[in-house]
Parts: sequence; C-alpha cells; structure tokens
Amino acid sequence: MTTPVLLAVLALVLTGPAPALLARSDWPYRVPRAAVILWQAIALAAVLAALGAGIALSYSIAGRPGEPRFDPSSARDLVAAAILAMVALVVVRLLWAIGRVAVGTRSRRKRHRDLVDVLATPDGLIPGLRVLAEETPLAYCLPALRGARVVVSVGALDRLDDSELKAVLAHEQAHLRARHDLVLEEFTALHHAFPRWVRSDVALEQARTLVELLADDDARRRNGPRPLARALVALAGSPAPEAALAAAKSSTVLRVQRLAGPAPNESRLSAVTYAAAAALLILPTITIAAPIVKAIVDAVS
Amino acid sequence: MASEEKGPRPLGDLERLVMEQLWAAPAALTVREVHERLAGTRELAYTTVMTVLDRLAKKKLTERERDGKAWRYRAAAPREELAADLMRDALDRAGDRREALVRFVGQVSDEEAALLREALSKLDDQEQTG
Repeated sequence: MTTPVLLAVLALVLTGPAPALLARSDWPYRVPRAAVILWQAIALAAVLAALGAGIALSYSIAGRPGEPRFDPSSARDLVAAAILAMVALVVVRLLWAIGRVAVGTRSRRKRHRDLVDVLATPDGLIPGLRVLAEETPLAYCLPALRGARVVVSVGALDRLDDSELKAVLAHEQAHLRARHDLVLEEFTALHHAFPRWVRSDVALEQARTLVELLADDDARRRNGPRPLARALVALAGSPAPEAALAAAKSSTVLRVQRLAGPAPNESRLSAVTYAAAAALLILPTITIAAPIVKAIVDAVS
Repeated sequence: MASEEKGPRPLGDLERLVMEQLWAAPAALTVREVHERLAGTRELAYTTVMTVLDRLAKKKLTERERDGKAWRYRAAAPREELAADLMRDALDRAGDRREALVRFVGQVSDEEAALLREALSKLDDQEQTG
C-alpha cells in the first residue's frame, strides 16, 4: 500500500508546493535553459506520479496474490477496475487537451498569417519580416515549420533606432529557431487538461518568462545588452491604449534588470538544475516500475 | 534557418497586390479585370491571377459570385476591418491565451515603467564608467 501513497504524495508536491516555491525563487532566471527543462520535468513527473498512484492503488486493491483473474462479483475488484477507468479517463483528457490546443493554436496562427500577408509589407532586412502600418508599437513572431513571420508595426519602427531594431529582430529569430512556442504549447495544454478549480497557471507563466529570457540571452550575445534593454523600454514604456493588458505583472522589469547585470555564466547551477530534472523523472518511473520488475522476476524464478 | 521562408515568395506578395486591387475597386472584379489592373505594374500570367484569387477565396479573404460564365471576386471585408481583426488578435484582446504568436514585450504599468527607466539608466552608467 506504500507505493500508491508515495506516488500520490509526490504528485501533490509536484503540482502544488514545488511549483509555487520555484516560481518565487530568483535563481531559475539565472539559468533559463535548465529551468525550462526543470519545469517540463516537474510537469511530466507530476502526471506520471498521479497516473502511477492510480495504477498502483488499483493493483494493490484488486484480488488476492496468486489470483490475477478479474472477478465481477468481488467488490474489491470492482473498485480496482473503477480506479483504472479513472486513470484512463485522465489520460484521455490530457491527450484531448494536447490535441485541442495544437489544432486551435495552428488555426488561429494560420488565419493571423493570412491576414499579415495581405495587410503588411515584406521587408528584406531578415527573412519573413513584415511591416504593419499600425501606430501601436508592436513586435511579435508567428512560429511555423515553414513560412514563419516576424511582424513589426510602423509604430514600433518609429520608436527604435537601427541597433535596437536589430536586437528586437534577433530576439524574435531566437524564438523562431528554438521553437519556444512548442514549449509554451505544452504548458497551455497541461493547463487546459485540468479542471478549472485545480489548475494553476504558475508553470505556464514561468515558461513564458523563461523563453523570453532565453531569446534575450541570444540577442544579447549577438548585439550586447544595451540595444535590447533600450528596445524593451521603448516598446513597453510607451503609453498605449491597451494599458489594461498589463494587469498581470509583466516580466519586462525582470528582463531589463537582468540585462543591466553581468551576462549569465552559471554552469554549475545549470548542471545541478539538469540533475534535479533528471532525478524527478527517474523517481516516479522507478517507483512504478520496481514492483512490476519484481513481479516479473518472481514469476520467472 | 529552416523555420523561415527562403527568398522571395512571388505568389505571397501577389496575394497582397491582388487584395489591394479588390479593396480599391468600387465593385466585384473578374479575373480579367484584376489581371488588367495589375498588368500595368508587372508582367503577369492570367492563370497566375486566377490561382491567386482562388487561393484568397480558400483563405476566406475574398468572396466570389457567378456572373455569366465568369466569377466576380470581392474582398470578404474592408481593409480596415481585417486590420482591426489582426490587431485584436495580435494584442490578444480576446484573452484566450493561446500561444499563437509570441510578442516581444507587453505593455507595462506606470510603476513598472519607472523601474524600467531606472534599470536602463543603471545600464547607461555602466557603459560610461566601464
């Protein structure tokens, strides 16, 4: 009976306290690449542990040892079957959410790209660049396997000098190259997979911030910190009618403060973070697999 | 860069030019009329214009109606309306938080703007002293 309890506790810790603690810490911002991996490991381990807890519970309730046959008249077997059915339901729900987010994101992005292609003017500065005749300062990218776009509004161009524009474009190209959108998509799907009253967007918010830091680091390596920091301030600090959007605390301050500091070089912290991510994934896997391996070994010997 | 387009896409650029003709026209245009309007600025095959109009119809950016043997095309919506749609989507005013696009930076509050200027001046100081 200890395995399901252990796994359930692990799942609870990985969905509640661990993300809350991690989100309040500053050190992940020093190693954004490793931190993204750690967040992914936490999410995956939480799902594995929760599913494993259900499977292990069902396994420990059902039947007596040496009597593996399902018996519909036994209340224990029925409870065990119900628990397995719930586990299957959670898996289906998760896959459904992943599919729905993937389809929804792609169709919205395709429509947006179609609009960009007929409304914005191509610019040869970088491949896929489109300039939009809008006063609102705006720069973003539309990721895609083929035909990705970087969109910049005239309002943004007016506020940036050459080096700042280069920094913005380097930042967006880093997003496109590394397909940061796929990371965000995973966390969006996970967010949608859980019922409204238990889901939290801590992981998604953190992933958003971390991929921005990754793209910032890339742009910084190319053009230095100053143009990028100035571009961030120029595009974020301008009074715009959409100010209401900033209701949620933005990561912009963090990003600029980070650019004002020394370039991150934290190979040890990053190694520890990777190790933690690996351990998190191995832990529930071993807990689930160990009894099964033991059962097989017992059966063979 | 595998994820980005390679070189110019003549058809993609044509879509924009064709739409501009449709927006500028007072009424729905046939393929021949669009072709004539564009022929002044560049050399273009009639069938290319037909393909582009067909693609735009599939993307629901144009609507077409039968006129005798020919099709007449019009823009599905005025330019301003599509531009407003695009901006609404780009700024995520609907707030459905799908990661369709990744913005460089969002808007910040006055309080945060002050912090930003402070951080930036720190960076500028470093530049001068260092």
